[in-house]
Amino acid sequence: MTLLNPKQRLLNVLENKPVDRPPVICPGGMMNSAIVEVMKNTGITLPEAHQDADLMARLARVIQQYTGFENFGLPFCMTVEAEVFGSTIDMGTLECEPKIAKERFPDSGSVVYEDVETLLQQGRIATVAEAASKLASDFPDIPVLASLTGPVSLAASIVDPIPFLKDLRRNPEAAHRVMDYATRFLIGFVRLLSQHGVSAITFGDPTATGEILGPKMFKEYAVPYLHRVVAGAHEAGLPAIVHICGDLSPVKALLPEIGADAISTDALINLRKLKEALPGINTMGNVSTYLLEFGPKEKISEVTKRLVKEGIDIISPACGLSTSSPIEHIRAMTEAVRS
Amino acid sequence: MSKQERILADLAKGVLELDENLTVTTAKEAVEEKLDAYTAINDGLVAGMNEAGRLYEEEEYFVPELLLASDSLYAGLEILTPHLPKDEEGEKAKVVIGVVQGDTHDIGKNLVKIMLEVGGFEVIDLGRDIPAEAFVAKAKEVKAQIIGLSTLMTTTMPQMEKVVRLLEEEGLKDSVKVLVGGGPVSHAYAKNIGADGYADNATNAVRVAKGLLGIQVEDAIA
Repeated sequence: MTLLNPKQRLLNVLENKPVDRPPVICPGGMMNSAIVEVMKNTGITLPEAHQDADLMARLARVIQQYTGFENFGLPFCMTVEAEVFGSTIDMGTLECEPKIAKERFPDSGSVVYEDVETLLQQGRIATVAEAASKLASDFPDIPVLASLTGPVSLAASIVDPIPFLKDLRRNPEAAHRVMDYATRFLIGFVRLLSQHGVSAITFGDPTATGEILGPKMFKEYAVPYLHRVVAGAHEAGLPAIVHICGDLSPVKALLPEIGADAISTDALINLRKLKEALPGINTMGNVSTYLLEFGPKEKISEVTKRLVKEGIDIISPACGLSTSSPIEHIRAMTEAVRS
Repeated sequence: MSKQERILADLAKGVLELDENLTVTTAKEAVEEKLDAYTAINDGLVAGMNEAGRLYEEEEYFVPELLLASDSLYAGLEILTPHLPKDEEGEKAKVVIGVVQGDTHDIGKNLVKIMLEVGGFEVIDLGRDIPAEAFVAKAKEVKAQIIGLSTLMTTTMPQMEKVVRLLEEEGLKDSVKVLVGGGPVSHAYAKNIGADGYADNATNAVRVAKGLLGIQVEDAIA
């Protein structure tokens, strides 16, 4: 086999074509790798880089150089989408990622619907797209991943999550309407990103877990809308990874219906067993972020090598990295895959 | 079934089956019938909520169901609590609870609060995105026995350790127990930072909290 560059390797895995070894990536968004040590070493810092395309691209580049991850991952938060829907965002600090200070609507029934194409021209949508374009043209061999907020989590970022979760049962019509709104927006965002050199999309949907929703609600709300955004990515010519937080056991059987090109999971999931249970699905993960923060690096290396040996298709952190994770620990992970 | 038994059964059913209307109608009926409010709360509403908690543990119920059951519970409490005799409101163990600074995810914290209240604790809820200092200050002010800390984000986990260190600095580490939980938090992490307890879900949080205090707390909300 000819030597693959990082972009070909990742795309091959997602297209079920042969590879020399698994890629080691960190998708961005809720799973970004903007760690404090890299920012302090380079002077390219958050929160400034959340709002400036050039800084965002430069930060993604230095992260990739320092950590050894084989991709660029954009953006560095999961508030880009909610912001354009009118939720109030706290941009955070160097150490602390942005968060939603207040959701725009108190419940599903009070959502005011706007034109999705108009929303796509607002906020930091263009910042992310522009940063992706820069990276894709400067480094054609390295895949640019955009990591977006999944549809359930986006709906629960527009509507206060507690009433929204109740609405899933008490007002399903309104809840479905919000889900459809979030989904149409995400499909538009993906289409836009596909025109800016993005190689693949990751949807991180931390509210859409089996533990929070249970299998019935997961089937009714998570599966069909995740399926739609994944299909939207495919229509735009991009593969899609879906990250499911927490214990996915209650919803394992439903995962194939999402149609993702890879499923990424939390550290508590045994990926080898998941692979056995769902042989048609590419698996991604799942080096413990606790381990990546506290080490020791020998253990990180050992855990990573075990994942490679077990045939896990893409190696990545299991969830959002702590911003205080040391570079040395991340390198122990990325180098273990390459050794 | 006597009238009283039917009322208690309907109060429990209104909570368990997420039927707020049934709970409210039945609670009003309980008041009209001069049913003992303490009994109505504990053998009706709380019994229903405990059953909902059991279904949650068995993975029959999930977060949306537990939230709606608690809405139903609180709607019933609002009607019945004013009818409680004053002298039955004994001193309850106090828990100061909140989501740590930097994080606004409060679903888990809200569930823990509900189950702690059902479990007989007085819960002082500081809300979300709360600085470490505020937890300690509030715990001192109300003489809380437990501080409950929640976070869903790995980036904000160090805030939990900060609370433990502050308690140490103030010499309160032994008198105020720290209970931690949330998505990325683990038993190992709790031990590592010197927290006293870790719970992986809302119903276990009640067990761990009771264990930390080494006391038997009655299943009583009143």
